[in-house]
Amino acid sequence: MKRGTRRPAARRAVVPVVIAVALGTTGCGVLPSLPEPVPSNIVPSRPAALEPAGGGDSLSPDGFDAVQRMAVRIRNVGCDELSTGSGFAVGDHTLITNRHVVANSDNLQVSTYDGRDIEVGTAATAGLADLAIVRTREELPSFPELARRDPEQGDEVMIAGYPSGGELTITSGRVVGSTRDPLHANLGEVLVTDAKVEPGSSGSAALDTRGRVIGVVYAKTAEDDSLLVPISTVREMLADADEFTAVAGCR
Amino acid sequence: MPGPPALVAPARRARPGAAPWLALALVATLVLAGYLWVTTTQWQATSAQWESEAHRYASQVATLDLQLDGANAELAAARDQLATATGRISELANEKAQLGDQRVASQQYLDYQMRVSEAAAKVAVALGQCVDGQDELITYLGDADAYDPGDLRRFRNQVDDLCDQARDANRALQQELDQ
Repeated sequence: MKRGTRRPAARRAVVPVVIAVALGTTGCGVLPSLPEPVPSNIVPSRPAALEPAGGGDSLSPDGFDAVQRMAVRIRNVGCDELSTGSGFAVGDHTLITNRHVVANSDNLQVSTYDGRDIEVGTAATAGLADLAIVRTREELPSFPELARRDPEQGDEVMIAGYPSGGELTITSGRVVGSTRDPLHANLGEVLVTDAKVEPGSSGSAALDTRGRVIGVVYAKTAEDDSLLVPISTVREMLADADEFTAVAGCR
Repeated sequence: MPGPPALVAPARRARPGAAPWLALALVATLVLAGYLWVTTTQWQATSAQWESEAHRYASQVATLDLQLDGANAELAAARDQLATATGRISELANEKAQLGDQRVASQQYLDYQMRVSEAAAKVAVALGQCVDGQDELITYLGDADAYDPGDLRRFRNQVDDLCDQARDANRALQQELDQ
């Protein structure tokens, strides 16, 4: 009698168990699961980098950009004559212009980009630079940031002012270099740019590409270049209140 | 005569224990088929719902696209209007500034004219007094013996003062005119 041809009972019992386990383990992975119910309220995911449509830079309370809003027109009703100049706000009630714009003044009149008249309080001029500070009784619309350092040669520059006492105008150019002040109105070096200015532009702010003030226009050269009081000088003057003396009225 | 005995194949004996396994396999197959059927129908239903949602959102997107196009057109028009308005405000601000300059210049010119007129009036009055005094002095000098020489000298000095005042007034007038 051959005994070796019959499987042992234990081995026969193992086979289905192995099959069941195999089906259980592999089948659960292969078989599709039941679908999740469709949500009744699908909340879309917001793209992280999505931003509002273009034109955001030009948004402002009234459609005028910051460069226009900080520029002011100054009318100097002098003791014997009338002259106009430009200026720009550096605070809620403070603006900067040139000394020669407010000199020999009987009455200073300041108006904004939209024609609003701003009542002037006091005016003071610097002794060592062609700069003046005018304090206003009414709030100025906007004021820019002052750059921390002077611009480099070749840097872009933008000038906002009232050339010839006319409409608010923005011109642009580049810094050509620096020179000794040919008018001897300022101590130290002044900046030269090829941005066009005219009489009446005196006191205009010169801005960099980020809208920061890098200088104050005070004159133009025979080559039609503009001369700026550099922002470093402006900062020095502003830091020392003793540098300024009140503007003398008509004698 | 009976033939040779035929060979009788041995009866195939069923393997013991196979039937339960077959039954078990059948049951498992049926369970599996049922599960697959349920899964399939549920996936079909879910798919249909998602497709419906997709159509609904596509419809919303199309509507929003249209609204966006309209809003963009309105925005462009509003920007144009804003640019026109700001340009006009700048023009008006400039016109106001020019009018202010003209008003101040006119006032200064008016003040100047008033100063000139006042100076001219002073010159006229002073000249008149000078001429009157000189006429009177000439009259007195025509009959000098009738008057005290000291009085005549004093009167002449007074007339000279009047004429000096006239000259000063005229000088002031000329200065105003030179401005």
